[in-house]
Amino acid sequence: MPQLRKDPVTKRWVILLHEQKKLPADFKIEHAPKQTNKCPFCPGNENMTPVELMSYRSENTLPNEPGWQVRVIPNRFPALQIEGDLDRMGLGVYDMMNGVGAHEVIIESPNHEDGFHNYSSEQISRVLHTYVERYRDLSRDRRFRYILVFKNNGSAAGASLDHPHSQLIATPIIPKRVMEELEGAKTYYYYKERCVFCDIIRQELSQGERIIHENESFVAFEPFASRFPFETWIAPKDHKDCFGDIDKGEIDGLADIMQATIKKLIKTLDNPPFNFIIHTSPCGEHCTDYFHWHIEIMPRVTKIAGFEWGSGFYLNHMSPERAARFLINPNYKG
Amino acid sequence: MPQLRKDPILKQWVIISPERGKRPSDYKKTIEEPDDSAECPFCEGKEHLTPNETLSFRTAGTDANKKGWWVRIIPDSEPILRPEGEPGREGFGMFDAMNSIGVHEVVIESPNHNSRIHNATNDQVREIIWAYKQRLLEIKKNPSYKHFMVVKNSGAGLSNFTHSHSHIIATPIIPKRVEEEIEGAREYYHYHDRCLFCDIVKQEQKDQMRLVYENDQFIVFCPFASRFPFEMQIMPKSHQPFFEMIENNLVQTFADALQNTLKRQEAVLPGQPYNMVLHTSPCSDSYKDFYHWHVEIIPKLTKVAGFEWGSGFYINPTTPEDAAKALRDIAIK
Repeated sequence: MPQLRKDPVTKRWVILLHEQKKLPADFKIEHAPKQTNKCPFCPGNENMTPVELMSYRSENTLPNEPGWQVRVIPNRFPALQIEGDLDRMGLGVYDMMNGVGAHEVIIESPNHEDGFHNYSSEQISRVLHTYVERYRDLSRDRRFRYILVFKNNGSAAGASLDHPHSQLIATPIIPKRVMEELEGAKTYYYYKERCVFCDIIRQELSQGERIIHENESFVAFEPFASRFPFETWIAPKDHKDCFGDIDKGEIDGLADIMQATIKKLIKTLDNPPFNFIIHTSPCGEHCTDYFHWHIEIMPRVTKIAGFEWGSGFYLNHMSPERAARFLINPNYKG
Repeated sequence: MPQLRKDPILKQWVIISPERGKRPSDYKKTIEEPDDSAECPFCEGKEHLTPNETLSFRTAGTDANKKGWWVRIIPDSEPILRPEGEPGREGFGMFDAMNSIGVHEVVIESPNHNSRIHNATNDQVREIIWAYKQRLLEIKKNPSYKHFMVVKNSGAGLSNFTHSHSHIIATPIIPKRVEEEIEGAREYYHYHDRCLFCDIVKQEQKDQMRLVYENDQFIVFCPFASRFPFEMQIMPKSHQPFFEMIENNLVQTFADALQNTLKRQEAVLPGQPYNMVLHTSPCSDSYKDFYHWHVEIIPKLTKVAGFEWGSGFYINPTTPEDAAKALRDIAIK
C-alpha cells in the first residue's frame, strides 16, 4: 500500500510509492552536452561580465582581472532591478509593485570543471564566507524583506552556464514557501513552546534511519515527508534562526557537511543535476524562538507532472529511509 | 522595470520580467512524441490489456471491456491511491502518516489513437465532460473521499502514453494547493461578502487585456500573476462551486471553451506539452459560498529551477497581457 506522509512544518502531504523498490539507477538523469562557448566566468574573461561586487583574490591583483578565488557579480539578466522604489499599488482585486531587488551571481571557483564535491576545504569555506558577507550587506537595505541564496547545478536544474556558480536574490517580499514554513513553525511553537525543527532534529538523531552525515554542529538527513527521491536537508544542531549569524567555526562545520553530502549524492546518483536553497529568517525580523535555518538539497531525477503543481501533493517513488541507506552505504544493493 | 504581482487567491508573488521578453517561437520543442501506436493499451480492440472499466459510453448492444465505446474509464494500472483498505492514520513521534486510500482512474478520451481534444469533434469533447461528471458523482458517494480532481498531462515527457487521456484522482485529504485556494477565497469572502473568483471574472471582462476567449457562460484568461508563460484559466461566469453539478446547458459551452482554448494553444505553441487540472470544491457544502470551480492550463515551456521550488516564488519572462494577445489574435479553424 502506498503511504501518505505529512510534513510537520508546512502540513504538506506526500504520496510515497515505496513498494516498487526502485534503485538509484532507475532514476533517469538528463546529462546535457558540455558547453563549448567562451565561458564568461573563467579567469581572463572578466570583461564579459558586469563589474564585480566583491571577490576573494590574491594580493596585488586588481578587481575584474584574474587572480581571484571567488567572485561576485550582478546577474547580467537580472530578474529584479536594484534601483528604484517599490511603488506599491492596487488594480481592482489585484496588487502589484515594482520589481526592485538584487540578483547576484557567486562564481565559486576560477576552475571551470570544479564543483562542491571536489573543492578544497579552504575553497568551500571561502564560498560560504562569501554567501554570509553578501547576505549581511544586502540585509541592511531596508527595501528587502528576504534574501535567498541558492544553486542550480546542471541545465536540467535550471543552470544556464556550466561553470560552478550560485546565486543570490534579495526580494521586497517573503517568498511563499518560506512564509508557509514560518507560519507552520509559529503554530507549532504556540502549541508546544518548542522549535519544530529542533524537535525534528532530535527525533532524526534518536531514530537514526534517515541520517546521512553529522558533525559537531550540523546534521544532514532525508526528511520524513521527502517530496523528491534523495531530497536532503542540512540543519544546525543548535537552535539558530538566521543564516547571517553563522560564525567562523560553524562555517567550517557547514563546509564539511555540504561537501560530504553532495559527494554522496553525486556518487549514488551518477552526477545528477541538483538544486539547493538556504531557508533563513526574513531580514530584520529575527524569528528567534520558532524558526531554524536550514539548507534544502533537491536532486533533479524526476519530472514533476500536473498532479504535483495542481494539488501541491508530491509523488515520491523512493522512501527516505531507503534513500538514506543508499547514500550512507555505497555497497547497499537494495 | 520588472513587476512583482500578487496572486489574489494564493497570495503568491510572481516576478513578471518582460525584459527577458520571450515570444512563443522562442520556446523550442525539445523532444518529439514517440510512436507507441503498436503497443497502446488504450486503443479500441485492446481492452483486454487494461483493468476492467468503471464506466464507458458505448453503442447499445456492445459488452463492457469490448469494442464499441467512445469514452472509457478504467482504474490506473499503477495507482498512486487505492480504493481498498483502512485509512490507517498513524503517528510516528512527531510525524503523521496514513495509507494512500483513494481513487486513481484513467479517462480514455477517444478510441482513436491520434485524436486530441483540440482536433476532436465538439460532440466528443462534450462526451468526455459528461464522463468526468458521471464518474465523479459516483465516486462522491463514498464519504471517505474529501476531494477529487481531474488532471491531464499531455505531450512528450509528461506522460507514458501518447493516446489522449486524463486522470481522475480522489483523495482522503484536501490537497495543499486546494486548501490554499480555499483559505484565500474564504478570507476574501469574510471581508467582502463576495466570491473572489466571481470578482476576478468581472475584472477580467472589464480589463479585456488578459482575455483569451469567452462565450455565454465561460471566460478564458491568462491570470494576472501567471507563474508560467501562457498559463491560462477557464472559469464559469456564474458562481458554481461544484464542477460535478454542472448543468446540461453548461456542458456544451464548457466543451466549446475548453476546445477553443486548446486549439488556440496548439496554434500558438504547436506540439508543446501541457498540464491541465480541474479544481472543484471539496466534497462538503461548507465551501460553496466562496469556492468556484475552474480549469488551469500550463504549457510546459520552461524548466522550473531550484529557486522556484525552494522559494515558491516564480519568475515569468512573458507578461500575461502579451500571452493573452497572442492567444486571442491567432486564427483557428
